[in-house]
Amino acid sequence: MKSLADFRAGDTFELVRECDRYRPTYYAAASGDFNPIHIDPEVGRRAGQPGAILQGMCTMAWLADACARYFDDPGRIAKLEVRFARPVSVGDTVRFEGRCVAVEGGRVRVEVTARNQRGEDVLKNAIAEAAFDGGSP
Amino acid sequence: MIDRKHLGRRYGPFRYVVGLEDIRDFATTISGGVPGRVFAGAPADPPHPWHVDEAAARVSPHGGIIAPPTYCVRFAMRPFALACSDPALGIDLVRLLHGEQAFEYGDVVRPGDVVETTGEIVDLREKAGMDFLTVRSTTTNQRGKVVVVGTWKAVVRP
Repeated sequence: MKSLADFRAGDTFELVRECDRYRPTYYAAASGDFNPIHIDPEVGRRAGQPGAILQGMCTMAWLADACARYFDDPGRIAKLEVRFARPVSVGDTVRFEGRCVAVEGGRVRVEVTARNQRGEDVLKNAIAEAAFDGGSP
Repeated sequence: MIDRKHLGRRYGPFRYVVGLEDIRDFATTISGGVPGRVFAGAPADPPHPWHVDEAAARVSPHGGIIAPPTYCVRFAMRPFALACSDPALGIDLVRLLHGEQAFEYGDVVRPGDVVETTGEIVDLREKAGMDFLTVRSTTTNQRGKVVVVGTWKAVVRP
């Protein structure tokens, strides 16, 4: 188990996730988000996309997972923020690269980039914070 | 353009009972696995054991299985989804994009928790022909503790 003393500004971490053909449907089943734009390629095309697009919240779940693995305890995540910069489509691979930017006041703060296989940002302003004061009750 | 009279419109409360297999399905699916966990092998990159393995979670600082942070979509997204599809607002879902998302977390979520979510439209504005809708959700658990406050922002393209 990591403690606060194990974190340093400048630490880096990464995670890679693929949006395979059925991922939007699998995520719909796990999350309850069956908005047709994520399920029906025709609806995706009407929205100007190549087909069905992944739920932004799945990309955010991947981001949280990347951070939780670095923090070593998913229950310490106190804050998550993202802007969805570009949809993730079936066939895309997303690489998350995180960097610890601050360790202060019992909190560890990270900034994360999330880019597809073309190097385009799918998230912007993605940050996470873990709280190390107290722990969960 | 969405009528600004809907600012302050509220949704909920909605009650949700958190399930162990729900949590396992969610954690497995975001690790590349399949919900239901049948007709599929284990994901290549296994989920954190504290989301799926009761024995490992029992000896963790949490003393039992906890949900992944964004598992909260199962209960906390409902006011946002209802606002986006509310006939009174008249948004065409095909033109709607999830623009931004933020969560502030309190208590961890565990199997058996009974959580209650309410939501409110806290911002509505128009810029460059696009509508921006913000819903704030607040979820509390059976002990009256805040579990998560979500800020959900949608963009509606012309």
